[in-house]
Formats: sequence, C-alpha cells, structure tokens
Amino acid sequence: MTKPARSFERTRYVHHLAVEWPAATETIADARQRLAAKFPRHATRRMTHLGLLLGSVLDGVVAGLDDAIVYATTFAETRALEEYLASFPAPSPALFQSSIHPSAVQQVMIGRQQSIGRVWPLAADRRLFEQALLTALLEPAERVLVCGGEERGTWMLDHGVASDRSFAFVMALTRQPNGAIGRVGFDSGMRSTEGVPPGLVDAAKQLAARATIEWSGPQGSFSIAFTS
Amino acid sequence: MIPASAELLDIGIAAADAMTALGNARATAAALVENRLALRPQPVFGRDGGDPVPLAAIGQLDESLPPRWLPLARSFLAGIPAAEWGSGRLPVIVTSSNFGVGSLYAFVRDHDARHLEHGTPFAAVRLLRSTCGWGDNVTVFSHACVTAHLGLLHATRLLHAGLADRVLLVSFDFVSPFVAGGFHSLKILNSGMPAPYAKREIGSIGLGDGIAYAVLSREHAAFRITAQALHNEMFHFTSNEPTGAGFAACAAAVKFAVGGRRVWIKGHGTGTLEAGRLEAEVFSRAFPAAPLVSWKGSLGHTLGSCGLVELAIAIAALQANVIPGTVGTSGPCFTDTVALAPFHASMFDAAILTSNAFGGAHAAFVLTHD
Repeated sequence: MTKPARSFERTRYVHHLAVEWPAATETIADARQRLAAKFPRHATRRMTHLGLLLGSVLDGVVAGLDDAIVYATTFAETRALEEYLASFPAPSPALFQSSIHPSAVQQVMIGRQQSIGRVWPLAADRRLFEQALLTALLEPAERVLVCGGEERGTWMLDHGVASDRSFAFVMALTRQPNGAIGRVGFDSGMRSTEGVPPGLVDAAKQLAARATIEWSGPQGSFSIAFTS
Repeated sequence: MIPASAELLDIGIAAADAMTALGNARATAAALVENRLALRPQPVFGRDGGDPVPLAAIGQLDESLPPRWLPLARSFLAGIPAAEWGSGRLPVIVTSSNFGVGSLYAFVRDHDARHLEHGTPFAAVRLLRSTCGWGDNVTVFSHACVTAHLGLLHATRLLHAGLADRVLLVSFDFVSPFVAGGFHSLKILNSGMPAPYAKREIGSIGLGDGIAYAVLSREHAAFRITAQALHNEMFHFTSNEPTGAGFAACAAAVKFAVGGRRVWIKGHGTGTLEAGRLEAEVFSRAFPAAPLVSWKGSLGHTLGSCGLVELAIAIAALQANVIPGTVGTSGPCFTDTVALAPFHASMFDAAILTSNAFGGAHAAFVLTHD
C-alpha cells in the first residue's frame, strides 16, 4: 500500500445498526402482521414489503432536517412495479406512486411526517454499497442514515431482473466517537489490491454479523469495523 | 446566518448540452423564444391507443429493440469532450427517473424477453456505459424529478473533496406508455395543454423526452454554479405542504447565496395548479424583482432529467442573450412575476433554477456567468 502526500480521509461513527433479514418465503401479508407493532394502526395497508422492512429498521430512529438519508437499492419496489404493469390498460395511480424511486423511504417518512434535509437514493448494482457509503461520507449533515434493501420479486425474478429475497438495513453515522458501536472509514490515498466491494445483499449480511469489511474502490479504500 | 440546506460550493461548467424534441440546447432555446410548442396530443399508451395527451417524444413513444433511446443517446453523447470517463479521477454520474422502464411495459405487451435486458436502472446504465466506453466509476442516482440536481451536488462534493479532476454528469429520461399511463392515472396528464403558473380551472402537465450532459470542474468557466439546495417535505406523495414551506426552504437557501445579484428564475412549473401557485407565490415573495419562467409548457416535463436539460437550455439562452418566457401560458397568472414573453439576459447577473418531485422533494441552484 502507498499513500500519496495529498489525500481525502473521512471517518464516521456508527451509532445505530439494524438489519431485517426475514425468511425468504415471507410475504407482504406476513410482514404486515409481524411488524404491525412498529407502525401506527392502518399505516401498513398500502406499504410495500420493502417499505415495511425499511420502516422496521428505522424504528426508533427519529430523523429531522439536520439529517440526511442515503438509500441504496438495485431493484426497489419490485412488487409494486409488477402489479402496476399488470394494472394496464387501467393503470393504478397508487401502484404508480409506489413504484417510483425512492418510494420505500417516502412511505416511512411521509407516514411519520418527518421532513428531511437531503435524501440520496442510489440505483446501481455492483458498486452500489460502496457508492452509498462514499455519498454518506461526503454528506455534511450531522447524522447520515445509510439504508437500503430489496424486496423479492415474482415474475421479474423468474426473468432474473429482481431480487430473490427481501431485506433491509440501516446504519446511523455521526462524527461522535463517544458511545459508537462501530466505525466507517475512507481514505483516498490508500489503495489495496485486496478486497472487493460487497454487493448489497452481502453488505446486509455482514452488517448483521457485525463483521469487519475492507475493500478498495476507484476512489480509495473503505473499512467498516464494529466494537461489539 | 447561512440556512442549513444551502451548500455554497462553487463549480464551473466546462461543457453542457441537451437534446429535446426541439433539438439541442441552442436550437431548443431559440425555439422557445419563438414560442414553439414541442408538445402535441398523442395516445397515452402509444400504439395501444388511449386518450390523447400532450407528449413531446423524439420519434415514436413505443419502446423498441434496441431501446429507442439508445441510438439517440449514442449520437447525442458523442458530443461529450473526450476523456477517460469512468476512470478513478474522471467519474461519471448518471441520473434518471425512468432509465429503461419503457422496456418493461414493452415486455408485458410483446412477451419478448429481450426487452428485459435493459428494463432495470442498472441494466440501462450498463448499456449506456458500454455504448459510451466508460469505465466502472459510474454512480447512479434516482430521485424522481429532482434527480439531476442530486447529480450536480454529488459532483460538486467529489470535486471539492479532491476525489475528481472533472466529473461527467449525464441525465436521460424518455417517455413511454409506462410513465405516461402513470401520470394519466393521476389525472394531471390529461387532454389539456400545460399552462404553467396560469390561474385556471384544471391543471395539466405534458411529458417530454430529454437527455443532457455537463462536464464539471473547479477550474474557471464562463458559467458556474455557486450554491445548491435540497429539501424533502415528506408531507404527501403527490401534494405539497399547503403553506409552501418546502418551496420556502429552498428559496431561503439560494436567497442567501444570491446576495445583491439581479436574478431571473427558471421555475419547475409543470402546469399543475397547487404546486404552481405555491412556487410562484413563494418565489415572488423571496425575489419580488425576479421574472419567473417555465419551459415545460412547450417541452413537457423531462422528469428526472429536467434539472440538467433546463440548465443546458439556460446556458444556451444566456449565450444568445435572450431568455425564453413561459411558453404555453397566456395569463392571468398566480403572480405578476411570471414572465410570459422573452427578455434580455443582459439585465441580470444570475439565474435560479428549481425542480420539485414526488414526496415534496425540492431542489434549487444558482447559476452565475461572466
């Protein structure tokens, strides 16, 4: 590893981590029932599976104008998309709304009536998690909620254009080391040949296990480590 | 005190262009000055028929194989200054709200699985990336109709962090029965032509194809972005907080940056009534001397790309020294700041460009020039 004279380094501390990793067979009806206690009564009726899972991991996290949200998903609201397409030639306005990126975040935050300074929805594949982290580390907000997830598709999954499982995660990052449960670092000057960026599914798994993750991307090296 | 939502980082626009149904940015700006309408009534579901609604597609609405946007994008993006785009120091940011979603509708209609090869965001960007020969340093944002603004702000941050020498921002959104059907179901895409900021009984929007790029750097440039702001109301999916607080948050953020400059405002102005009224009222209070224009009455709403498409048109208009008025609107309007006719750019020092989106998302930036 070499380190040039001028580099960009940033460290943020993890103060909240939650991962939803339900059984692969969980349906949206199952999720509504399982997670009902985390939402106001009737609030879940029009939420998507991904919206429910994201709401669950954000449960207890009160966000506001001083916060930013970075949201990563490759396929987003697949079921809403599938059902919206099936609604033609009388397209459903509710399903159209639910299919639009970043619907899951908006379902949760509109349900709570919580205004947010900046929301950064990313939609890529291979480097999605890495790009979401870099976006979060460049964000000047006092606290950044890095979240993401997918929902299991049906006919789109059969054609390989949807996630094969539903999950969601969130990490709350701040500048405060006190009381942190982990640390996220980036250094543009460090390049390691080892490590590949975790995909979104692998990232969620490793976060759930509180595993250390290290890799290099086109703009520098990333690391995530937990204290407990 | 600087509003928390204001980001006062300065970047230069080394190159920019756009393509709409009226041509490139220069041709589009000139056509807008002549009050030409790109929108025309077309069946909402393309060849599958449906109600006639105002659309401004470049060619046919229906998705094809290869996707109809690909040859248009290939031809248009060939104008980007050559560089190793997508390499470590030359990142690419792609923004869109539609990507290749029209191909999903085409698959459901035709049952041809080849449409699915570019129906998802990452697949559409992968196709664009291979077509343009970019490396894999490509970041993709999608936040409905403020998407391009996110790309601008992220590019700004990359440049100021020293993580890039230049950034290429590309945004593309092409209309399809998928998206036209959605807005039609919401009843805001209807048989009426859009008349942004006009006081009338029924609001109407139009939809248009748009693709644009900008090369951004910290080096000196004749056109610069000096402040940017984002805000998310999270009040309702399809309506704004009724006091206009979301518009006011963005207006306050850019007002600080404008200082004593004489500005004109390119508003979002899709043709919906409530959002148009709130936007006109809030910005007329914040900038009472600033003429407010919208170009979506001619071009239609280019959705997630409107922020970058309209930036390129604004630059072309400034170069021609004539700013197009609010094409498609004949008044009366919500405020007397709405400019219906073109005006000379030489009377102003800067422009504010705004966009709004589902969920009460707001975005604005300040464009200055030599």
